Amino acid sequence: MRILLIEDETALREQTAQQLRAQNLTVDAVADGEEGLFMGSEYPYDVAIIDLGLPKLSGIEVIQQLRALSFKYPILILTARGRWQDKVEGLEAGADDYLVKPFHFEELSARLNALARRASGWANATLRCGPIELNPSSQQVFLQQTQVEITAYEYRLLHFLMLHAGEVISKSELTDHIYEMDQDRDSNVIEVFVKRLRGKLDPDKTLNPIETLRGRGYRLNLPRD
Amino acid sequence: MINPRLSLSNRLLIAVSVVLGAFLGLSAFSLNNAFKSSAETAQEQRLHNYVMTILTAAELTDTGELLMPEKLLEQKFSIPNSGLYAQITSGDQIIWQSPSAIGLFLALPFHPGPSIEQYSVIDLHNGMKLRNLAFGVVWENDQGAQFDYTINVSEDQLMLEAQTANFQRNLWYWLGGTGIMLLIAQWLILRWSLRPLTGAAKDLHAIETGEHPRLTGEYPMELQQLTQNINNLLDHEQSRRIRYKNSLADLAHSLKTPLAVLRSELENSQDLKHFKHVGQDQLQRINQLVDYQLQRAATEGKSNLLAPVSLGEIIHKIIASLNKVYQSKNIHCQFEIERDAFIHADEGDMYELLGNLLENAYKYGRQRVNIVVQSQHQKITLRIEDDGNGIPLIAGEAIIKRGRRFDTQVEGHGLGLAIVSDIVEAYEGTIKLEKNFLGGACFIIEIPDQ
Repeated sequence: MRILLIEDETALREQTAQQLRAQNLTVDAVADGEEGLFMGSEYPYDVAIIDLGLPKLSGIEVIQQLRALSFKYPILILTARGRWQDKVEGLEAGADDYLVKPFHFEELSARLNALARRASGWANATLRCGPIELNPSSQQVFLQQTQVEITAYEYRLLHFLMLHAGEVISKSELTDHIYEMDQDRDSNVIEVFVKRLRGKLDPDKTLNPIETLRGRGYRLNLPRD
Repeated sequence: MINPRLSLSNRLLIAVSVVLGAFLGLSAFSLNNAFKSSAETAQEQRLHNYVMTILTAAELTDTGELLMPEKLLEQKFSIPNSGLYAQITSGDQIIWQSPSAIGLFLALPFHPGPSIEQYSVIDLHNGMKLRNLAFGVVWENDQGAQFDYTINVSEDQLMLEAQTANFQRNLWYWLGGTGIMLLIAQWLILRWSLRPLTGAAKDLHAIETGEHPRLTGEYPMELQQLTQNINNLLDHEQSRRIRYKNSLADLAHSLKTPLAVLRSELENSQDLKHFKHVGQDQLQRINQLVDYQLQRAATEGKSNLLAPVSLGEIIHKIIASLNKVYQSKNIHCQFEIERDAFIHADEGDMYELLGNLLENAYKYGRQRVNIVVQSQHQKITLRIEDDGNGIPLIAGEAIIKRGRRFDTQVEGHGLGLAIVSDIVEAYEGTIKLEKNFLGGACFIIEIPDQ
């Protein structure tokens, strides 16, 4: 899951980005409205976190312009002053939720996961597909109630596939959603990750959770619970 | 260009002087003209009467000779240079001259025609100016012979001019006197009518120097609206200042407790996990206190100077926002809002009041939220109820009780309600918490509007 974080306070931005990455989320963090708008319209994000008081271009304007460009991903606004007028203005502009600073990181994380879930049609906090279970808040994966040890990138890949269970996801889409902008990307690695995931989630090769559609991509093929 | 800083009394004085000057000047001009023309008419009438006197006194003999009495009825004809002269001509002969006219050549003999009066002005060589009436007579004797005569009567113009000059002098004295008196009266009236303004300025100065907290004097009706508004503004500012001061004092005071707890934990705690837990709690508390007092200080509060805001519009906007945020709860919201539910209040305050109440309802409600807004008898009644299990009932009742400050509350949900309670108080309204038939909380807020 790839997150755009636009926040001008350096300490808060870096700390938040670090905590989000620690939750195995892909994060691009920028400091002003103009750059934020550019990033937001250039890369495929799953959720954006936008501070309202930004230099160069205000958070409200960034949201309005993103929505005017028909980007539909959920947006969470951060406000320093918890004024209702600001919250309503932000939500009217096109944001989906708000959080008043200072916040507990757990709160932010829960809201982010809820927004991402809602956007992809999941009702519960824990994603379940057949015998596979993924808990975004603890980043744990279970197969038949038994925890499965997987690496960070395997988790990112599985998280995205499960969020969009039933949909065909291309290799480049997967790359876009699990790598940050300045990371080296090699789409062959995706194949390696998928192969390893299959090995871990389907050791006796009966489940076939991730289907390969030649030339089109991958699909998580288990029914959502 | 008129100096915009020209004082009111100077403006009025200048305007009144110009109008008065023009009025008096025009009156003098027309009065003078009227007097002149009536004097001239009187003169003509006079000359006509003299002609008639002479005509009556004259006697014609059978031979056509004209006989005049020694003395005429009018004395002035007998005194030389009296200013009134008469002569009778016939053909180019002067037949008779009044004794006053001796040595004067009045007019060329001419005959204007029978019974025709002809007025003229004669300039004599010695500088005299006469007004002359020539009257033509034709007499017939018993034999039927006709004799033409012209009777001339002249009056010295000096008389008329002296009369006019006298009148003009009198006129100027009177009009000038009247003008000066009117100006003085105007000035006094101005001073008298502008005195309340001077009084208001003095009162304002007294406020500036801190002698009085507001405008205290009695003012005339026209100024009352202004002074009333100034007083409202002053009261509003005063209550805001008090709120600022109180919030600041309360904030400083209420921060002491969590800070003391943190310090004592820092000094005594051996258990890192426990310390972290306490630290988190106290930070949360400090954060809430700052939020609460900031909001309290920012509350505008009741003022007659605020424009009316539509409660319905604000409610709809907040509900749209909450529906987004609490999408997963799928709350069914029912409105009953009077169309003209406007209130003279600060928009930000109303957002805060309604936002906190409605968010609580969404948070604690299960499926339903009812909102009723009524505007009656200059009073706005708000009723917000939910079908939750009344979690805020316990905390809420304590919070909205009078005289309890937020920092004396135990924990948790109360921040929003404390803010609501403060805003209601700032608008001199009341807030009640009841249990409703849906099972949840029902807040009833009444705010007087003006």
